[in-house]
Amino acid sequence: MRSLDLEGRAVPIEAGDTIASALHRVGVRIFSRSFRHHRPRGLYCLTGDCPNCLVTVDGEPCVRACVTAARPGHRVVRENAWPSVERDALSVLWQLRLLFPVGFYYKTLLRPRFAWRVAEPLVRRVAGIGTAPLERPPAHREARHHHADVLIAGGGSAGVAAALAAAEEGERVVLADEGGLDERLAASLRSSGNITVLERAAVVGIYEGPLVPVDGEDMLHLVHPARVVVATGAVEQHLPFRGGDLPGVWLGRGAARLVREHGLLPGRRVVFAGATEEGLEHLAVLVAAGVDLAACVVPASLASSVSPGVRVLADGEVVEAHGRSGLSAVVLAAGGRRETIRCDALVLSVGLSPRDGLARQAQGLPVETVGDAGLSQSLPPVASRGFVCLCEDVAAPDLEQAWNEGFRSTELLKRYTTATMGPCQGALCEPHLRAFVRGRAGEGALSARTTARPPVRPIRLEDAAAGVHFAVEQRTALHERHLELGARMEWSGDWKRPESYGDPPAEYWAVRREASVMDVGTLGKILVAGPDATAFVERIYPCRVADLEPGQVRYSLLLNEAGYVFDDGVVCRLDDGYYLTFTSGGAEQAEAWLRDWAETWGLRVHIVNRTHGLGAINVTGPRARAVLETLGAAAVDGDSIPFPSQRRLHVAGVPCLALRLGFTGELSFELHHPRSEGMRLWDALLDAGATPHGLEALRLLRLEKGHILVGQDTDFDSTPAKLDLPWAVRMDKPDFVGKPALERIGGISLTQRLVRLAFDSAAPPEGALLIAGSRRAGYVTSSRFSPVLGHGVALGWLRRQDDSFPDAVVADGTSGRVVAEAFYDPTGSRLRA
Amino acid sequence: MGLRIVCPTCGSRQYTEFWFGGEVPDPGEEEFERVWLRSNTAGLQRERWFHYAGCRRWLTVERDTRTNEIHAVA
Repeated sequence: MRSLDLEGRAVPIEAGDTIASALHRVGVRIFSRSFRHHRPRGLYCLTGDCPNCLVTVDGEPCVRACVTAARPGHRVVRENAWPSVERDALSVLWQLRLLFPVGFYYKTLLRPRFAWRVAEPLVRRVAGIGTAPLERPPAHREARHHHADVLIAGGGSAGVAAALAAAEEGERVVLADEGGLDERLAASLRSSGNITVLERAAVVGIYEGPLVPVDGEDMLHLVHPARVVVATGAVEQHLPFRGGDLPGVWLGRGAARLVREHGLLPGRRVVFAGATEEGLEHLAVLVAAGVDLAACVVPASLASSVSPGVRVLADGEVVEAHGRSGLSAVVLAAGGRRETIRCDALVLSVGLSPRDGLARQAQGLPVETVGDAGLSQSLPPVASRGFVCLCEDVAAPDLEQAWNEGFRSTELLKRYTTATMGPCQGALCEPHLRAFVRGRAGEGALSARTTARPPVRPIRLEDAAAGVHFAVEQRTALHERHLELGARMEWSGDWKRPESYGDPPAEYWAVRREASVMDVGTLGKILVAGPDATAFVERIYPCRVADLEPGQVRYSLLLNEAGYVFDDGVVCRLDDGYYLTFTSGGAEQAEAWLRDWAETWGLRVHIVNRTHGLGAINVTGPRARAVLETLGAAAVDGDSIPFPSQRRLHVAGVPCLALRLGFTGELSFELHHPRSEGMRLWDALLDAGATPHGLEALRLLRLEKGHILVGQDTDFDSTPAKLDLPWAVRMDKPDFVGKPALERIGGISLTQRLVRLAFDSAAPPEGALLIAGSRRAGYVTSSRFSPVLGHGVALGWLRRQDDSFPDAVVADGTSGRVVAEAFYDPTGSRLRA
Repeated sequence: MGLRIVCPTCGSRQYTEFWFGGEVPDPGEEEFERVWLRSNTAGLQRERWFHYAGCRRWLTVERDTRTNEIHAVA
């Protein structure tokens, strides 16, 4: 037998069943417990508008049972109750409701101070509906773009008529409906070649463009229409009265749908309260299905239309409903008399509210409303009892209280009481909220409609992210090798890089004493060539470039137009152009920046981003040369490839561009090679005796040399002068990016500069305050204990005090002094070895 | 937002394929104004967009900052 599982109990499914109808058939009447007071709630609208039937399906919370087709094997759990919705211990909150008035968290639990800290975890546990499935990985959903002339939201009679009319005019139409379409209407749409029909696909919102996201069953449809037609119809008006939220109280359309589509009855003994012609049709459906109609409350004008034999209370009203876990009786009033009638269902058809949230959020866009969605909102009488907002459990007295506290407009009441902010987004409660305010403040700005915003229908976060294909994690060719070596990986921009291979001190010593390798394939790598390449590069960089001979390299800063450092790297002169490197993660930005200037200046250059095509491995340490020689590299002596320079080498048979640089402070060869050869080269280097080091070792190695890391040690407005790198800028060049700005600010004396700090013993933590005398003088940006020197080394920003910069500071209890040169090997003899 | 830009090389594309590069300064503007001052136009503005997920070219786009309507792309 086909069945779904409800909390361990098998529930049979019949053809055409929704989860709601399947559960109703086996006698389930309580579908959830309410948001704040844990009141029992049952089926009410059956059109996907109210919050009552939100259940967890296969671990996914807040699924609308009434519009979700039942499938065999569905695991359904009802929400917001413990231990079960039938006997919910938390329903005590309804008895304690005076302790938790609207906005209680603004005014209770404030004193003593610890009260909120104790209460907060409890409140957070109890509050809210459903539980987000944290253990489930989010599904990757696809998105599809549709380029149409017109999008129609809603496949009722108005929507279908609009679709056919537009198709007749030759327009390409997309029609989306949250449920399935009526078979006859669907056939007429399919016979037109111009109409795409999306069923079980909810229009979520209308954005600028217009862009209309439609949440389909298997994908997100992104529709880009020239115009939008909103034909979402109307929802029957909610009616607040005491007990009006009990299971057994129905909206007319819901009750009629239950009979027509599923052959089920809302109850055995029914009381009907209606005020519309449509309501009488629903009544006829119920009567034909064989319910026992106990009484019928209608306006006198409709009394004659009710079938004979039914007890009619003309011009009567519903006063209140009784029952504990479901409706047992209603109290009606008519002609000044009250009477209690036993029943198990109360069906309401008192008016319509347009479902116009979509149209209202699209002001200024080409959006037209047709059918019931375009009805003007007629406000109901002001409610004095009962729940105005079912989603957030806001009752009429709560509005009264908030009003008396001074929240005297629809928008203020909405924010303070959260009425209209639940899953129904005001579909049921907004007319009552406005009627309440209009009753006190009259027509006008105070009782204006609240702002409609997307989403109008609930949407999963994974649906909102559908179609996102950005590679959020970039990996070098050696990623697998790092993992095999037990590396702890960390983020570095969009890249994943080894933080360490488990022992940063050992990795550090391998660089200082032996030979070590690091994967630096993440560096930005860009080739520039063409007839104007030299002129272009000369104008881009603040250092001299035109005097470089093939084989030479130069370190340079990159400045923006304001003269601020935003990146650094090296310039390599090749025979036929320039090879430029940038910091890891800086390549994309650098490429856009280079292209911008090439175009602005109208220079003839080719710019090729080689970041992903080339790998790079830095071989560093006193034994680095020996390692390369073992692997057959010829002419790696200090004369053939001195510091700093570059040349082509074959290492282990892999063709490389070797850059003789020295970020670590030791003899170094940075081997740039085709990415496809990366693993071969890496394996050969390890076989030849080099061990790998990660970022943590590198941070210490470079800090001992006093090298900056752009981004860590620099600020957005760091000029070369502030960084104490004036030699990196040639102000005698005719022009370079940022030169006019540097000239302008060159005359202003420095108030801040980045300095190297040697500490007597331990290293202060990064971010520590620098104290000079008894005054604050700046802060530490990078700091480590140097094993080779035996004391703390740091970089930090110092402020000028009076007329000079202090040269002695204290940070975190340790005294330090400003040093002019690199901490380690200030003469650079090890680099030049 | 559904803003679309008709790239001369790639065709009509979602704006998320582009990086915004700021307004195009007037030719007469001095360096100081170009670097430091923004006109913050309410209306038609010429601006630069980089098509990073497409042809990787810089485009000059004329956009109405009040309506996000795009009038010209070059």
